[in-house]
Amino acid sequence: MFKAFILPLRRVRAFVVRDFQLAISYRLEFFLRILTILFVVTTFYFISQIFIGSGTRFSEWRDPLAAWITGLAVLNYFMTGFSSLANAIRSEQMQGTLESVLLSPISVPTVVVASSAWDFVLVTFHSSLYLFFGWLFFDVHFRGSFLLALIFLVLTTLVLACLGILSASFAMVFKRGDPFGILLGTGSALFSGVFFPTQLLGSGFHAVSRMLPPTYGLDGIRRVLIEGQGLAEVSEPLVTLLIFLAVLLPFSLWVFARAVRRAKREGSLIQY
Amino acid sequence: MNATQAQPRRDRIISIDHISKTFPTPLWRLRKFFRRSIKPPVQALSDVTFDVRAGEIFGLIGRNGAGKTTLTKIIATLVQPTSGAVKVGGFDSVRDDEKVRAQVGLATAEERSFYWRLTVEQNLMFFARLYGLSDALARRRIIELVEQFELKDLVSRRFGELSTGNKQRMAFARAMLSKPLVLLLDEPTRSLDPLAAARMRSLINSLAGGSPPTTILLTSHNLTEVEELCARIAIISRGRIRALGTPKELRAEHRQTERVRLTVNGLARERVHQILNNDADEIEQQDNALVVSFTRETGDDRFDRIVRALHDDGGKILSFETERATLLEVLESYEQEHEAGEES
Repeated sequence: MFKAFILPLRRVRAFVVRDFQLAISYRLEFFLRILTILFVVTTFYFISQIFIGSGTRFSEWRDPLAAWITGLAVLNYFMTGFSSLANAIRSEQMQGTLESVLLSPISVPTVVVASSAWDFVLVTFHSSLYLFFGWLFFDVHFRGSFLLALIFLVLTTLVLACLGILSASFAMVFKRGDPFGILLGTGSALFSGVFFPTQLLGSGFHAVSRMLPPTYGLDGIRRVLIEGQGLAEVSEPLVTLLIFLAVLLPFSLWVFARAVRRAKREGSLIQY
Repeated sequence: MNATQAQPRRDRIISIDHISKTFPTPLWRLRKFFRRSIKPPVQALSDVTFDVRAGEIFGLIGRNGAGKTTLTKIIATLVQPTSGAVKVGGFDSVRDDEKVRAQVGLATAEERSFYWRLTVEQNLMFFARLYGLSDALARRRIIELVEQFELKDLVSRRFGELSTGNKQRMAFARAMLSKPLVLLLDEPTRSLDPLAAARMRSLINSLAGGSPPTTILLTSHNLTEVEELCARIAIISRGRIRALGTPKELRAEHRQTERVRLTVNGLARERVHQILNNDADEIEQQDNALVVSFTRETGDDRFDRIVRALHDDGGKILSFETERATLLEVLESYEQEHEAGEES
C-alpha cells in the first residue's frame, strides 16, 4: 500500500527534478522570462492609465490593470493545463528520449502526467509573478478568498487538462496539426474574457464564449479576487466547471487509452 | 562451488511463441475516404518461435530490415505483436507489460535516448528513479556502474560532451541500473575501440555467468563477435527465423564441406599435378613450397588419399589448414535461398 503510493510520487519527482536541472542549464532564458513578465505588466499598467476616470458598467473591469493581470496569470495557467500533456509527449518524441522513458516500468499515462509536472511548477511561479509585480509596483490590491480562487484555478485547470489529454491522444496518433490546441489556444484569448469583458462580444460570439471552460474559470476568479464575492455568489460558474469535468474526464481517459493501444499496435509510439 | 551450483539454470526466461507482426497502414480508412493511395501493410515478423534460457547469450543476426529491431521492441513491450505471445520471466508482454519492463534492460547505440544537457550522473539518477530505486540505492548503484563501465571520471560531464564510445557505455550502464533479468543488446561494441570492445565482451560474458545470471539477447552485424559470445544464434530474414542453433550446428547445416590447404615441399609443381590428377582444385607456388587447396565432403577419404599420394612420392607436408563455412556465408546462403525462392 505504502509502496503503491510512494512509487508514483517518486517517479513524478524524478521528472520534476530532471526538468528543473534542464531548466537551470538555460539560466539566461529563465531570467529573460521573468523580465518579460515585468515588461508585460508595466505595459498594461500604462494602457490602463488611458481609462482612468472613464468609468465602466462592468464591475470586474473597474480596475482594468487588475482584470488584465489576473486574466494573463490565469490564462497562462489554463494554457499549461491544456497544452503541457501533449507537449510532454511531443517533446520527448522529438528529443528521442521517449523510448528510453517508456522502457522503464512506468505506464504511459504516468509518463504523460509526470512529464508535465514541471510545467505546472513553472507556470505557478510565472503566474504568481504577474500578481506579485502588479501588487509591488502598481498598487494592485486583491480581496476575497484566495482559497476559493484557488479552487476555481484547480478546477478549470483540471477541465483543461482533460482537453489536454484529448490533445495528447491526437498527438500520439496524428503527431501534428492538433485542432484542440488551435481552437482552445486562440479561442480562449479571444472569447474567454482575458483582455475585455465577454459581454462586449455579440450574441453569437457570446454563445461561443459560454462553451469554453476558461470563461467560467476567469469569471469566477475575477469575481472572487477583484469583487470579493463569496461561494454562494459564484456557485453558477463553479457548478458549470464541475459538469465539464464530470463529462470530459472519463471521455478523455477512454480516448487516451485507445490512442496508446493504437500507437503500440502501429509501432508509432516514438515517432513524431 | 558444488555440482548443483555449477549446473547452469536452463529455465526459459524469454519465450517467443508464434509471433507475427504486421504494421498496418496508418489511418487507412481516412486515406480511403479521401481516395489517397494506400500503401500495403508491412509484415515485419512472421510466425517467429524460439526460447532463450536463463543465463544464455542468444544472438539474433540478419540484414537491415530483417525484423531484428521489431522483435526486440516487442520483447521490450514497445510494440504489440499482431498475433502470438511473448513471455519474459513468465509475464506476458501485452497483459503484464510493466512487470516485463521491470525485468528488461535495453542498450542500443542510439545516442539521442539521453538528455544531452544533463550530466552522466543526472541522467543515470533520473532513470534509476524511474525504475523505482530510492535515492540512496540509486547513488550506490550508479557508483558501482560508473566503476564497472569506466565512466568514473566523467560523472560530472554533460552527456553531450562524451565521446561516442562513452555514450555507448552509458547506454549499457543505464540498462543495468535495475539489475535486469534480461538484457537486450543492440550492437554493444559498435563504437568502441578494440580494447574497450574486448573488455565489453568479457563483461557481457561475466554477466551471463553471474549469480543470478543475466539472460542476454544480442543483435549485431559483427558476426565474429556474435560467434564468439553466443551459445545459440537465430538467423532472421524477411521476418522469419531461417535457422537456429549453435554456431557449429548452423555451419554444419549450411555446408557439409570444408576447404583444406596443404603446404608441401620436396616436389615440383608439374609432378604434383600428375600424381593428384584432378583431386586438387588449386596448386600455388609459395616461396619454396607448394600450397595445394581442395574442398572435401566432411568425413570422406579425399584428404587421406591426397596426403598419401604426396607422401609416397617424396613430398613433405609442412602444414595444413581447414576452413569451414563462416557465419557470414551461412547468412548469405539463407538470403540467396530466399531470393532464389522468390524468383522461381
